[in-house]
Amino acid sequence: MYDAQQIVRKFSDIKTLPHVAFRVNQLVKDDQATMHDFEEVIKLDPVLVTRLLRLVNSPYFGLVQKVESISKAVVFCGLKQLRNLVTVEALRGMFKGDGERFSREKLWLHSATVAILAEMIAKRIFGLDGEDVFLAGIIHDVGLVAEDQVAGEELRLAADAMRRGEGLLLECERRYLGTDHCETGALLAKEWKLSDQVFKAIRYHHDDRKTFTLPSVPAIIVLADFMAFKMQYNPVPGAPVPSLPPVLARHVKSMMANYKIIVRDLPAEMEKARELYRTDD
Amino acid sequence: MIDSDFTEIFGELLAEHETEEDLLGVLAELVPGSGLLLVVEDGTRLQAGIPLVLPAATEEALRAALPPLDAPPSSPLVAPVAQRLGSGWVYALTMERLAGVLFWMIPGGTDMTSEPAGEALLRNTLLYALGEQERRETAAQEAQFRRQIEVLKQQHGRLIEDNYRQYRINREKEQEYARTLESEIARQTAELREANVRLEEGSRLKSEFLANMSHELRTPMNAIIGFAELLADTTLDASQQEYCRTIRQSSATLLALINDILDLAKIEAGRLELEIVSFSLDELLESVAAMFKLAVRDKGITLQVRRDPALPDFFRGDSHRLRQVLTNLVGNAVKFTDRGAVELLVEPVSPPAATGQERLLRFMVRDSGIGIPAHRLEAIFEKFTQADGSTTRRFGGTGLGLAICRQLVALMGGQISVESGEGQGSTFSFSVSLPVAEAAAPAPATTTATGRAGPVVGGRRVLLVEDNPVNQRLASLMTSKQGCDPVVAADGLEALERLREEEFDLVLMDVQMPRMDGLAATREIRAIESDPGRRGEYASLAGRSEPIPVVGLTAHARSEDEQACYAAGMDAFLSKPIVRERLVAVLTDPGGKA
Repeated sequence: MYDAQQIVRKFSDIKTLPHVAFRVNQLVKDDQATMHDFEEVIKLDPVLVTRLLRLVNSPYFGLVQKVESISKAVVFCGLKQLRNLVTVEALRGMFKGDGERFSREKLWLHSATVAILAEMIAKRIFGLDGEDVFLAGIIHDVGLVAEDQVAGEELRLAADAMRRGEGLLLECERRYLGTDHCETGALLAKEWKLSDQVFKAIRYHHDDRKTFTLPSVPAIIVLADFMAFKMQYNPVPGAPVPSLPPVLARHVKSMMANYKIIVRDLPAEMEKARELYRTDD
Repeated sequence: MIDSDFTEIFGELLAEHETEEDLLGVLAELVPGSGLLLVVEDGTRLQAGIPLVLPAATEEALRAALPPLDAPPSSPLVAPVAQRLGSGWVYALTMERLAGVLFWMIPGGTDMTSEPAGEALLRNTLLYALGEQERRETAAQEAQFRRQIEVLKQQHGRLIEDNYRQYRINREKEQEYARTLESEIARQTAELREANVRLEEGSRLKSEFLANMSHELRTPMNAIIGFAELLADTTLDASQQEYCRTIRQSSATLLALINDILDLAKIEAGRLELEIVSFSLDELLESVAAMFKLAVRDKGITLQVRRDPALPDFFRGDSHRLRQVLTNLVGNAVKFTDRGAVELLVEPVSPPAATGQERLLRFMVRDSGIGIPAHRLEAIFEKFTQADGSTTRRFGGTGLGLAICRQLVALMGGQISVESGEGQGSTFSFSVSLPVAEAAAPAPATTTATGRAGPVVGGRRVLLVEDNPVNQRLASLMTSKQGCDPVVAADGLEALERLREEEFDLVLMDVQMPRMDGLAATREIRAIESDPGRRGEYASLAGRSEPIPVVGLTAHARSEDEQACYAAGMDAFLSKPIVRERLVAVLTDPGGKA
């Protein structure tokens, strides 16, 4: 048995959020930071530079001009967008490995779907920039990766139990591991010094007792998570769809036409963002 | 890829006949006061508007009147049928998109289906209601577009703000950097300036020190040379004469060395200034040659002096320093040559020039001596260096001569160079530009020398003003040897007292003395002479038609000291150690007018 602390501690030993992503997150919060500071940090990782420029020039951003330097990318995309890209790049490497009982690659697809849906909801329904919800979406299940790293067998046993109908994934995790991915993920978010909203989204995205009002980041993540489950993009194969909290259900009901459009447009948005989440390289 | 549709995701949020109820609601709003009943295909009965109680018979009749759904392919809306009910009419309508039969009670006396206009109204109202849902979606779509555009605008605004913020931060950083740079430069400049001041002060102190040292060294040298000369004039046996000669030679060497060091110090402190006078080139060359006459004869070599006959005789320049350089070069050549000849040549480099214009002259000293190895050619001009360490032991010398020569020539605007090879003799040469002069000015008094032992200047009363007892004694002996009658005064005040009490023909005046120094005393004497009231009180001054000759005596051999003596009103100047020939010349003719 573990507790979240142990899992995070062991996980951090192996896979810290790469230095670059960590520094970039700090830079976003520093109002004295400049694109030069940014470039200095990102330049440390030449592979990252190439990947970032490929992302910035992908249809997801739809820039007219081709961007050829990081400082220019900062000018065109803004620090937060770039922070997200760097985090995506940093995390992408952690989501490698497929399997019947637990698949990090399927989890990655789930996370990307949640991130893109969450961003669509934020932008289209609430007129918000969606940059924080995107980050929250891509990272909300990172606790599962840590658990897989440190206690892979226990996690698979928990998933098996869940599939046998012995409870929700969270309950089975606690039974076999002693903790759950919300708790471990939240600890990681704290360690990586992510924003409070992102932290809450990770910590409480399966917590029925907490009600977040829209358009907060946690509420949007819960809604997007629900939608991704419904679309069979499960974080863990065979995981049952969680229930949608009444307040969110009421919201969707009142915005029917809007959600119809989001569901309709999602495939196109996913296609545009392919460069962001594909794992085939 | 993702292809779930809305109902798959949010199906459980939807009531079973949500769409149909929506439609009824819209119709009820469109036609207030009407009652609606939709009988869906599965039998569900949905109601809206005012309650509609439809007798089963009426419903049956209407249904029966309705044509089958697939009958008119041209229109989705089947023509309504009507039945009278209460205060109005009930119409039955059906259509493809309705999935059921709609019974619609509209109050009024007329059956709307009886007229084409009424029928069109019914049909189009239903079509409008059906389109309402599409319109809502379009509106939602439009609203989403608007919000997305808003987000883009916000992001754009933030980007601009952020980029401007970055621009400002960068500008501030640059300004801050510039400020730091400026203050850093200012600080370093101040430090350098301060260091420079310290260096200058150090250099000045060094020069002071050297000047004082030279004074301190010259005072005992004065005594040694003087007394050695006096000793040589006494009756001595052969070995005593030998000792005495050695003392005199050694002290002469030491004095030359002291003068060299002083010169070098002055040059390096930048305090050596050329004294430009008119001089005769022939006289200069002869005087150099004369100095080595004996040495050359002793070594059995020859010294040839030649100059281009086309050159004029008179030039303007520092003849004293020029002589110093040539003496040095010829001296070296003689010293290092054991066989053959030493030549001193002067030739023109530039074409003839008129009086007052400059002429470039090349001076050359060639010898057939031991020569200098190629790798030492540069080093010999360094201070304290000779061709190699052993040279010093074999030939003596300090190694300062060439260093001084190079500096002096540089000061005259030339450059000294040497060509040599080991065992092949050496040629030193330099070129300087000198203006052609009309004729030479009279030679300075201090340099006129008349004969060796010289005529005795007998019977003159000399007042010797000197504080140092050894020097008092030496000068007394030297002057009395010339047949003079010296009286000693220890300082300026005492000198004035003597001049008042006794008659003197000449005053030998030391410069540095306690109470009243030589310069002050001389000024006082000149002041008394020009004051008829006071003049009578002084025995030495009262009866004279001309000012009493005052000759300065000092160990400070610097030219500024000499200038100070003349400025104070002295007639001549002797630097210590006193050379007998000069003393004689001064005693004979203090004004140097001989």
